[in-house]
Amino acid sequence: MATAGPYNYSYIFKYIIIGDMGVGKSCLLHQFTEKKFMSDCPHTIGVEFGTRIIEVAGQKIKLQIWDTAGQERFRAVTRSYYRGAAGALMAYDITRRSTYNHLSSWLTDARNLTNPNTVIVLIGNKCDLDSQRDVTYEEAKQFADENGLLYLEASAKTGENVEEAFLDTAKKIYQNIQDGSLDLNAAESGVQHKPTNSRGTTTITTDQPVNESKCAC
Amino acid sequence: MATSTSEYQHDEPSSPALAPWERFSRWLHCVCIVVFDLELGQAIEDVYPAEAELSTSEKRNICYLSFPDSNSAAMGDTQFHFRIRSDRRLELDSSEVLVDRDSPAVLKPDIAHYYGFVYFRQEKDSTSKRGYMQKSVVLLSRLPYVKFFSVISKTVAEGYFEHGMVSIESSCHDIDQWRLPIPGRTLQLPISGKVLQIRIPSKKDKPGAVSSPEVYGQAIPAVTIVSSVQDVDSFSCLQPVLPHLNVLWELVLVGEPIVVMASTPDICATTVQALINMIKPLKYASDFRPYFTIHDNEFKEYTTKTQAPPSIILGVTNPYFAKTLQHWPHVLVVDSCSNPGLSSTIKRTKNLKGLTTLDTTPGLYTKYLPTMKEDKFIIRRLLKQVPPGTRPQEAQNAMLTRHFLEQTQSFIIPLERYITTLMPLQKNISPWKSAPNLKPFDVEEFIRSLNKAGPQLTSDIKGNWQTLYRKFFKSPNFDGWLRSRQAEILEALQLRQIEMMGAADITAYIKGKAEVEIVDLILRLKDKLVNIKCNNSNVSISEVTRHRLTEHLIFVVSILPPDLQGILKNI
Repeated sequence: MATAGPYNYSYIFKYIIIGDMGVGKSCLLHQFTEKKFMSDCPHTIGVEFGTRIIEVAGQKIKLQIWDTAGQERFRAVTRSYYRGAAGALMAYDITRRSTYNHLSSWLTDARNLTNPNTVIVLIGNKCDLDSQRDVTYEEAKQFADENGLLYLEASAKTGENVEEAFLDTAKKIYQNIQDGSLDLNAAESGVQHKPTNSRGTTTITTDQPVNESKCAC
Repeated sequence: MATSTSEYQHDEPSSPALAPWERFSRWLHCVCIVVFDLELGQAIEDVYPAEAELSTSEKRNICYLSFPDSNSAAMGDTQFHFRIRSDRRLELDSSEVLVDRDSPAVLKPDIAHYYGFVYFRQEKDSTSKRGYMQKSVVLLSRLPYVKFFSVISKTVAEGYFEHGMVSIESSCHDIDQWRLPIPGRTLQLPISGKVLQIRIPSKKDKPGAVSSPEVYGQAIPAVTIVSSVQDVDSFSCLQPVLPHLNVLWELVLVGEPIVVMASTPDICATTVQALINMIKPLKYASDFRPYFTIHDNEFKEYTTKTQAPPSIILGVTNPYFAKTLQHWPHVLVVDSCSNPGLSSTIKRTKNLKGLTTLDTTPGLYTKYLPTMKEDKFIIRRLLKQVPPGTRPQEAQNAMLTRHFLEQTQSFIIPLERYITTLMPLQKNISPWKSAPNLKPFDVEEFIRSLNKAGPQLTSDIKGNWQTLYRKFFKSPNFDGWLRSRQAEILEALQLRQIEMMGAADITAYIKGKAEVEIVDLILRLKDKLVNIKCNNSNVSISEVTRHRLTEHLIFVVSILPPDLQGILKNI
């Protein structure tokens, strides 16, 4: 179709991307939404949004991705972005150990500011720069396992594993919905009725259960 | 000037003055001077403006296509055009999108090709070893304004042969002052001391309406009116094959591979263009090369015998092709030296074996069994002149063009009628959901509709319309038509949806919605507003709707928790 119009979707998942400055958060987002690498990406101030509709188990899911500022001075501001996130992508740069060392502090924020069912994924970005590697795969894998995180190494530059990072997160969230571990407050329509409830919930169906006009824009 | 101000509105969308060469680049990519050098062969001697980008393969193609393919001792000038793939696709900016939108399909800028308008001169030159000079001035453009650019190319080339590069520089400067080719405009374009007047056709024109420009109150004395941007002298080219016009129309319509063989590039280029023009207002959606040589980048791809010939039209002059393309199903041989007026004696040859040189008699060599019967009426009308040969060429061309325009219209009307039945109902459009899609095109359902509303109602030609449609559905022409119609309709539906969104009760809608959904709504509203502002979307939105959407946005942001309000205001 000539016009890349929005499609119908049954769920919206809110994601946040967190991690130190310069680890490539915005580039990961850009690679995922535009399938392109941004070579000179300006620092993010506050938050940038990206959206893309994906499909998991035959369900159309709109990802609403909040790309946060990594600079320390924005830390207090960005804390309010975590609310209601269904997925948190926590990124570090495999060529800079300091960005890895700060993960526990990011993880603390993610744990404290989201709900227990929020799926947290650890992404070791810039894996195309293997010769400058400063953090081994095994070390990060162990950290991820100890903390119950999904883990991948990815490259926003080549696109390697970027798709997987976003999709695996969505699959995990969807699985949590399916097995009931994620409380959707599953009402008749599947739509949250009270905004106050969104504190504990991560997933919302925007549409009426499949009917003839199931497009949402 | 008697132009209305509304015509100017898209001219300079944001800045009052366009950058140098910006106007020029809307008309032309560049001008190339190509020479035949005894040592180097064909070579590009000069490109203007010098910064115009051309890839190595584009340059190579231009070099070969700028000269007649076969050696000819004939002196003098020849004009023709070619079409090549461009390595860089044209990216339309916002005002070009507008031009594109209102342009008839056949006149849209070609984003993947360049047209080359060649003016070739061969003259005696005692200083050259060979004894003569061979040189071409080539205008490259994305616009398929074949007739218009042949006039421009003549003017530019004549200036060059008299005064050299300085004349090219001055012509290009003239072109850089031209107003943009916005559909529906009548333009007066100064070039080399002359003024050409031309009207750029618009999609909104009535089909078949004569698009020649109206003359302004006070015509400048030196003004030359160019009556059409694209029409060529179809009658002269097709005269040798008059009895087969309907077969040709069918072959072009259903996208059969056709090769046009002629002795000179001007005849083959004009004939290819005449064929494409036969199915107007449909756009010929496959590749076509008015003039194609054995050096062309696509030579191997297009002449391979390991696959069936692609759905394209090639114009060739090199006798070598008679052999190379022997396996092609449809060969049209045309020539200027054919005897006019004897058309009725030409037989359609069903055997291609004898076709090995270009000395072949003009005719259509094909095994194709036409679906429709020949229309004797138009042929008789074209030939019936009292006394013979007295009707001016223009009148013959107009008659021919009109005939096929009407015939193609008859063919399209049922398709147009059917596609409107695929539109969603108004009640199924929701302000909060993206506009519903069209129902898929169902061939069988369409065929069933033909009994009641087929082309037999508006066309006199007899034959099996159903079969013709079925052949057409397999062709790229159908895909092209369907895609562009779907896009147009979708655009209209989107516009309707945005208007409804503006008019809807947002307070009721967001009641009880979760934060994530409200943020989603904000992103959607912003997206719509940004698109409207940048004109990225082809949708033109009223001020009222834009204002309403802005108000919605302000309201929705205001109901969010304060910590989010700040950031969402700024994105």
